[in-house]
Amino acid sequence: MSTLLEVKNLKNHFKTPNGLLHAVDGVSFKIETQKTLGVVGESGCGKSTLGRTIVHLTPKTGGEIFFEGKDITHIDKADLKKLRPNLQMIFQDPYSSLNPRMSVFQTISEPLIINRVERDRKKLSKRVLELMDIVGLSSDLANAFPHELDGGRRQRIGVARALALNPKFIVCDEPVSALDVSIQAQILNLMQDLQDELGLTYLFITHDLSVVKHISDNILVMYMGKMVEYTTSEQLFKHRYHPYTKALLAAVPIPEVGAKKERRLLKGEISSPINPKPGCRFAARCPYAQDKCRVEEPAFQAVEPGHFVACHFVGEINQLNA
Amino acid sequence: MSEKTIEIRHKSSGMMRDAFKRLMRNKAAVLGLVIILILILSAIFANVVAPFSYDEQNLRQRFLAPSPEHWFGTDEYGRDIFSRILYGSRTSLMVGAISVTISSGIGTLLGAISGYYGNRVDNIIMRFIDIMLAIPNILLAISIAATLGPGIVNVMIAVGISSVPGYARLVRASVMSLRDQEFIEAARSIGANDFRIIMKHILPNCMAPIIVQATMSIAIAILSAAALSFLGLGVQPPMPEWGSMLSNGRAYIRDYWWVVTFPGVAIMATVFAFNLFGDGLRDALDPRLKQ
Amino acid sequence: MREKLLEIKNLKVVYSTEEKVVEAVNHIDLTIHRGEALGLIGETGAGKTTTALSILNLIPDPPGKILEGEIDYNGTNLLSLNQKAMRSVRGNKISMIFQDPMTALNPVMTVGDQIAEVIRLHHKISRKEAYIKAQMMLETVGIPGNRLKDFPHQFSGGMKQRVVIAIALACNPELLIADEPTTALDVTIQEQVLDLMDKLQKEFNTSLLLITHDLGVVAEVCETVAIMYAGEIVEYGTLEQVYNDTKHPYTRGLFDSIPKFNEEVKRLKPIKGQMPNPANLPVGCNFADRCPDVMPKCREADPIVIDTGENHLVKCYKYMAGGYEA
Repeated sequence: MSTLLEVKNLKNHFKTPNGLLHAVDGVSFKIETQKTLGVVGESGCGKSTLGRTIVHLTPKTGGEIFFEGKDITHIDKADLKKLRPNLQMIFQDPYSSLNPRMSVFQTISEPLIINRVERDRKKLSKRVLELMDIVGLSSDLANAFPHELDGGRRQRIGVARALALNPKFIVCDEPVSALDVSIQAQILNLMQDLQDELGLTYLFITHDLSVVKHISDNILVMYMGKMVEYTTSEQLFKHRYHPYTKALLAAVPIPEVGAKKERRLLKGEISSPINPKPGCRFAARCPYAQDKCRVEEPAFQAVEPGHFVACHFVGEINQLNA
Repeated sequence: MSEKTIEIRHKSSGMMRDAFKRLMRNKAAVLGLVIILILILSAIFANVVAPFSYDEQNLRQRFLAPSPEHWFGTDEYGRDIFSRILYGSRTSLMVGAISVTISSGIGTLLGAISGYYGNRVDNIIMRFIDIMLAIPNILLAISIAATLGPGIVNVMIAVGISSVPGYARLVRASVMSLRDQEFIEAARSIGANDFRIIMKHILPNCMAPIIVQATMSIAIAILSAAALSFLGLGVQPPMPEWGSMLSNGRAYIRDYWWVVTFPGVAIMATVFAFNLFGDGLRDALDPRLKQ
Repeated sequence: MREKLLEIKNLKVVYSTEEKVVEAVNHIDLTIHRGEALGLIGETGAGKTTTALSILNLIPDPPGKILEGEIDYNGTNLLSLNQKAMRSVRGNKISMIFQDPMTALNPVMTVGDQIAEVIRLHHKISRKEAYIKAQMMLETVGIPGNRLKDFPHQFSGGMKQRVVIAIALACNPELLIADEPTTALDVTIQEQVLDLMDKLQKEFNTSLLLITHDLGVVAEVCETVAIMYAGEIVEYGTLEQVYNDTKHPYTRGLFDSIPKFNEEVKRLKPIKGQMPNPANLPVGCNFADRCPDVMPKCREADPIVIDTGENHLVKCYKYMAGGYEA
């Protein structure tokens, strides 16, 4: 397996009226070809910014990005244009991510026209209809406008647009969270099929833990711009070490009778990482927080092979004999 | 979609057709449209319809009251007022259309650039617009017309430039609200450049308010042009223009009411028609407003 | 059997525009007992919110219209009350929590004013007493009483939803309708809010109608469940009946569609197709086109609701006497 994308110490800070927002603060990971990395976290944890920074939609503050071994951190416009087809994105809101004045055909053909992939009208039409077929859109919808379609079909248009340029890597930013469960399952299955057939690699951003567990190979948990825990999907759902990950997973309502477990309520609220204080960002809500947590930032280190956690007291909390 | 054909339509006509259907259901708007169409037709066919030429003087027939021969009476040189109003509609409509094209073109461009790029660019453009806004519209038009000198072309430029700020502000506001929509980001993610994003993704989505504003401001432009002509800065005699007809006729207002009344009614009817139509257009293009 | 508090009988609501008539709610029957927490589950456009708004007689008219039915509340039909009488019910006997806490509060009034307002609307008490009550309510929902004078923008999303709950419970309503109360919140905050609602509902013995699309949320809070699809209730029963002995093919489809948290599923089993256009519902069962167990007669006539035992109601031909063969 070869590494398709690698991110090293990526940072993205924004100026806001209230101070400097550390949206992404030192994130590093690798994704292997044809694998899915799930990024989970609650609102304001920087997961969306992370995705947008990687595909060069938002300028970054620091860090490095490698794609197929090549450094793409600082590339000029011309190189970015060549790289674009490989880095695509599927957006969250199937309503606002489509131009309401463009028909299904126009939307899906646009990437092909902009990047001069297909100049011939006939071939262009053929390719668009082929893409519509791949994502399960009936060809008689080609002239329809987004407002005539339901959420599931709209999201299929978004998927077709992302696939048009034969990308290798797709950032999926909450692609199913605006959809109803029965439609959500259709789209998730579609994305898995596409991954197998076209050899795609995904960065799958979501707040829904059941979805991330289902679709990901590896999972990265973020909290206020920081990496909190990283491991394989299987491992995370068996053993999780960080107190935040534990609380997050415990909070998911399970659709089973009697699943009303002992609630391990997390105190307090999520705040945004504006001018963050030193120390662990989770300290204010952490039931195990001690003085050290408020002063010193925990390192992101391996607890087991391939399982990383950022917590000073990971050993004590989990009774590990390190 | 009713038809089962897969013939690809490359124009987004569906939405416009829906809007047109809604427009046709609005009686006031249809009335406005009918008046506008009559005006346009009479402007085009003025030389066919008009019983007299606009500059045909007959000093023996000065100040004739409206009669079957001279429907709207005659003026101080014995010219037929009905014919002059017909010919005048050419000037008025042309001034309205061209000055609105100038103002909406420049205003949309400035507004789009300002709203899309934000920050410094926005600051510079908007401060310039603020300065223009600080001067009353008509005063600005008068000073431009006075600088450029009287004449129909200068009137169009003066009226056009003086109403640029309205468009710039309008377009800037809608561009700013569109700029953060996901489909703009999606367009960037497939490699679209700024020019394409503005032309293909942003402007088509703020067309509705621009069209409405343009329709409404044709009325204002006609009024401003009339005002400039009234002040002698506009169209020069003997070319008929409603504003200058009013201006010339005001000396005789006590004795010969028709000399000022008919040009006044013409201006009023035109402005009224464009406003009705503009209102209807707004409702038709933005169905959300009505519910 | 507990005492009935609210009974919806044969309710039909339509939204009509010039082009089409949308049948949002089609002849539903639903009973809520005193102190019961009922979960109303359905997807977008199933008619959940319309049902809730009908109870408060708040359907926007036009375009909406309640065509048929009764909503029986403690012996009076709410739909026959005039506006004035209805206003004394809203926020007092029956109150509602909306989905988006960000827009449910007035940004230019302090939260104290907003809580006191609803109390003073329904009870003749002095301003001072109302504020004391408001402060108590804030503390009940876990917000320090000294934040009474704060404005909504000074609270986070979860705190705002707590304020909304405080307003809804300020007059000790008998029925609380919560329309997707936690959908806009993060999971850890959702957990806090659900916990609070659960606790307060038991404490005040309020009946709760919880509207949601999330099967997990219902499992945490509710005892009885109604599943809605295309304007109809297709399955109704206790939580155990519906979750452990799922009858209706749609309900089963919903359960199969969600990625399981506790078990490994390689591939999800989505319900095929889309919800039918509510302006053009099919003849027969509305679910027929998406149903894996569809029979010819499903497309001929609408199935009736039948009791499969112990008040577990299902609207499907499969469970009528004789099942498939009949």
